[in-house]
Amino acid sequence: MNNKPDQGTIMAYLYGELSAKEANQVKDYFIQHPDEWKQIQQLTEVSDLLKNVEEKEVIAPPVFMDHAGHASRFWQSGAFKTMMSIAATFLLFLVAARLIGPDIAYSNGEVRISFNAPAKIEKVDPSNPALTPIEVQQMINTALAENNQALVTEWEQNNQQLQATIKNNFVSNSAKIDALMKQTSQASQDQIRSFVASLQQENLQSMKDYLQLSSNDQKAYVENLLVDFSKYLQEQRKQDLQLFQTRMSSIEKNTDQFKQETEQILANIISNPENFKKVNNY
Amino acid sequence: MAGTLLDIAMMHSDTLIIRAREGDKNAQGKLVQLWYKRIYNFAYKFFFDHDLAMEVSQKTFISMYRHIESLQEVARFRSWLYTIAVNYCREELRKRKTNRSVSLHDLRPGEQEDSYHWEASTGRVDNPERQLRQTELSDLLQQCLLELSDEQREVVIMKEYEGLKFREIAEALQISENTVKSRMYYGLDGLKRILERRNITKETIGYEQ
Repeated sequence: MNNKPDQGTIMAYLYGELSAKEANQVKDYFIQHPDEWKQIQQLTEVSDLLKNVEEKEVIAPPVFMDHAGHASRFWQSGAFKTMMSIAATFLLFLVAARLIGPDIAYSNGEVRISFNAPAKIEKVDPSNPALTPIEVQQMINTALAENNQALVTEWEQNNQQLQATIKNNFVSNSAKIDALMKQTSQASQDQIRSFVASLQQENLQSMKDYLQLSSNDQKAYVENLLVDFSKYLQEQRKQDLQLFQTRMSSIEKNTDQFKQETEQILANIISNPENFKKVNNY
Repeated sequence: MAGTLLDIAMMHSDTLIIRAREGDKNAQGKLVQLWYKRIYNFAYKFFFDHDLAMEVSQKTFISMYRHIESLQEVARFRSWLYTIAVNYCREELRKRKTNRSVSLHDLRPGEQEDSYHWEASTGRVDNPERQLRQTELSDLLQQCLLELSDEQREVVIMKEYEGLKFREIAEALQISENTVKSRMYYGLDGLKRILERRNITKETIGYEQ
């Protein structure tokens, strides 16, 4: 856009009221003319500053409605509408009745409503009943007998069917159970044999192990015992010998000492016979 | 502005407008509830005066009540309503010029409305200092807006704050779309000079947004 946009276009551009095409043209122009865009920006800044003006809060005065023109009419009242609704419903009922053609009859405490056909009430003469009490009783008895017969028959049939079913089930089940028992018993004998064999084998092995272990222990114990006993005997012998030597040496010392004392006494007697006499005189 | 529930409701008020046009007083009442704040704020920014804004708002909606049955197209309700508001704004301007009376607001702008400002501003920002600065900046910008010519001010407020399209502004003011854009351009340019003169820039106001 080489032509300079006029003031109106610039304003529309600033406030976003240009079409996209026109806005682009203006934008292109200002890209080519940045100095002019600076001037326009100053206007934008003014616009921004103006936004600092505060909005004043104000309460709108109350508005009083003129209800003169809206005075309620008679036909707008609730009671009138209710009455008209009932009347309309009744009228609708009458019209429907006319179209469908109902016939209402009342006789001897009975009300009969029928459509498109006259209501007929059959008159019954109580003085001349069609059936006597005996006949009624017979009819009841007959009906009961037939009913009982039918019940018995049905019960017998059911019983037979039930027994047949039970029998069939028993035969089939017993055969199955026998087969299963046979299979189970066969399987059990094999299992028992193998179990006993394995048990015997285990017992034998365990006994063998036990005896082996026991004999080894006893052997070791006896050996140890013999060794200990021989050590004990040797020690005892050694101590006895030492005791014997000690006693012998003691006896020997005593004998020597007694010998020396005897010799000394004899020497004294020999050397001093007078003293020996004096002593005897006392 | 955009995105609030009120705005969404306003954008989808076609049914209400149709019912109001057919004389449904309840629908007319709801339209007032929906649009009162917008018209009041438009007038407030135009005059920077609460009383005048209330006056214009009330007159606008009384007029809407009386004439909504003559509204041809539902889609043009917004521009139609702003047309009424703008006309009453102009009427009030003429009255002020004729009477040459000076309001207390003009003498000490902002101070005689302390209670109103307080009520309007509380509870929105936690930091009181920041709220005070924001209120001062808002008032300052309002004064800058007042320095624009009436024609430019109408257009700038409608575009910047009411979010009308240029076509709708043209319909509301009953002028051509190009004229609207031209007024908008010169309005922004004029504001730029005013702000420069008052040394109000993003930097000087400690722009935190």
